[in-house]
Formats: sequence, C-alpha cells, structure tokens
Amino acid sequence: MFGEYAGYIIPSYLLTILVIGSVFVWIRLVYRSRRKELEALEAGGLKRRSAVRQEANTRDS
Amino acid sequence: MSDALTEEKRSQGFWAWLTGLANPTRFMALTDAIMPFIASITVLALAAGLYMAFTAPEDYQQGETVLIMFIHVPAAWLAMMCYSVMSLSALGTLVWRHPLADVSLRAAAPIGAAFTLLALVTGSLWGKPMWGTWWVWDARLTSVLVLLIIYLGIITLGRALEEPTQAAKALAVTTLIGFVNIPIIKFSVDWWNTLHQPASVSRFDRPAMDAAFLYPLLIMALAYMLMFFTLHLMNMRNEILRRRIRTLKIRAAEAG
Repeated sequence: MFGEYAGYIIPSYLLTILVIGSVFVWIRLVYRSRRKELEALEAGGLKRRSAVRQEANTRDS
Repeated sequence: MSDALTEEKRSQGFWAWLTGLANPTRFMALTDAIMPFIASITVLALAAGLYMAFTAPEDYQQGETVLIMFIHVPAAWLAMMCYSVMSLSALGTLVWRHPLADVSLRAAAPIGAAFTLLALVTGSLWGKPMWGTWWVWDARLTSVLVLLIIYLGIITLGRALEEPTQAAKALAVTTLIGFVNIPIIKFSVDWWNTLHQPASVSRFDRPAMDAAFLYPLLIMALAYMLMFFTLHLMNMRNEILRRRIRTLKIRAAEAG
C-alpha cells in the first residue's frame, strides 16, 4: 500500500492522529481535573459572587 | 413614531441577547447543549473527507504523496485561521472589553500551535520525496516557522503574567503585532521566489486543481475547521473553569 512513498505517507497520518489526539485528550483531562477542583472548593462552602446572586434571585422570585 | 420605538426595542432585545451570550455561565450552558452536535458533524465530515481522500486517484506528478496534501493543506490553513480568530479576540479585549475575548484568545493558542506544527512536519514529509529536501529557508516555510514561534511565545507570555487584566492586554497587543505575519505567509509565494508552489485553491481565477483532488481537499478543510471549533469551545470551557477556581481560591485566602 502507498508504494515507494509509504515511508512518508504513513508517518504523516500517524503524526496527525497523534498530535490532534493528544490535544483532545489533554483538553478532556484538564476539564475533568478542573471540574473536580471546582467541586471540591464549592463543597467547602465557597461560592462565586455570580452564583450567590443567582441563588438570591431564584429565592426572590 | 411607534414603529421606530418598536424597532429600537427590538434592536435592544437583540443586543441584550447577544451580550447575554457573553456571560460565561450562559456560555457554559450553551456549549453544553451544542457540543455533541458540533462534535458529531466534525466526525462525519472527517470520515467523508478521509474516504474521498483515500479513493482519489494518484496525481500524475506527485503520485500517492498527494495523500499528504489532504492533511497538510488544511493544517496550514487552520494555522492561519486560528491566528486570525485570536487576533479578532485580541480586538475584542482591547476595543470592546468582551468578557470572553481573552478566554477565546488563550484557548485558541495551543490548538493553533498544534496545527502549525502539523503543517510544518507534514510539509516536510511531503517535501523530501517531491523536492528532494526536508527543509529550505524559503519565505513560506520560514514565515510558518515564525508563526509557530509566535504561538509558543503567546502561550508562554499568558502563563508568565499573573495579574489577569494586565495579562489580557499584553496578550492582545502581542497577538495583534504578530498578525503582520499572516499576510506575509499568505503572499510570501507571490512576493518572493520560493521553492514552495503558489496558491492552487484560493486564487482570484478558478482553482488550479482537478475536481478529483479539490473536493476531498475542501471536505478535509471543512472537517479541520469544525475540529478546530470543537477543540476551541472545549478549551474555552477549561479556561473559564481555571478563572472560577482562581476566584474561589482568592476568596478563600481573603476569608482565611
């Protein structure tokens, strides 16, 4: 398959899969770890001002 | 008169809706809803593009190395498009002080760097069998290498500056200065005598490429563009979470 150029075509596709796949996995892992960290902080009673305001608005309405 | 008032109210309503989207909480909710849809279209476009690429005929000059073009050219286009998105975001930070502009700029930088790296490496893997060399210091290749260095510089600068407002301004100004490299990349093949061939698709007259190669290339370009937007939205969510964590940590430190 790919004849005499296989040594150039296959690495090109493999590298593309590797680089884009790594970016995707990295973004997913960062998302997970940040979600966990945020949940831990919120579980400790900390809340952002906007979240507090939102809760107050919900109560008032 | 009443028509004018209704029109004004309508335009205010539209503006409120538009600025409402700029709210990070609404942005997170919106992306939660649209992400599966964009990701699905990306996968479909990528599958269609790859199918068309691998069933395309051999090029009479390039032979089967034309297969590299289907991933090299979209990567190169995306490298420039991503930087253009960052430059628009930089304007959003400096001119409109849009709350999500700096988030967008920071989130796009690593993705742009990845596409630029892919453009350089796949170009090199195509160049060796076709030109007989891995690399030449011609204007196109050198200006794309400069783009990669600019991306890495912006990522490093963003990590080095702690104060958010100062960092946002510094990143926006640096990004806008770096934008000068984008037209240089695009027109380098016209302005200088380069080993890299001139534009084959984005020309003022018709593309200098047969439909058998043009359509797979355009579908792959669409797939890459969708892939960029998917990754960009995902990374923007990460950046919003990073800011929320930072805010809570500061509040915890102030309270403690």
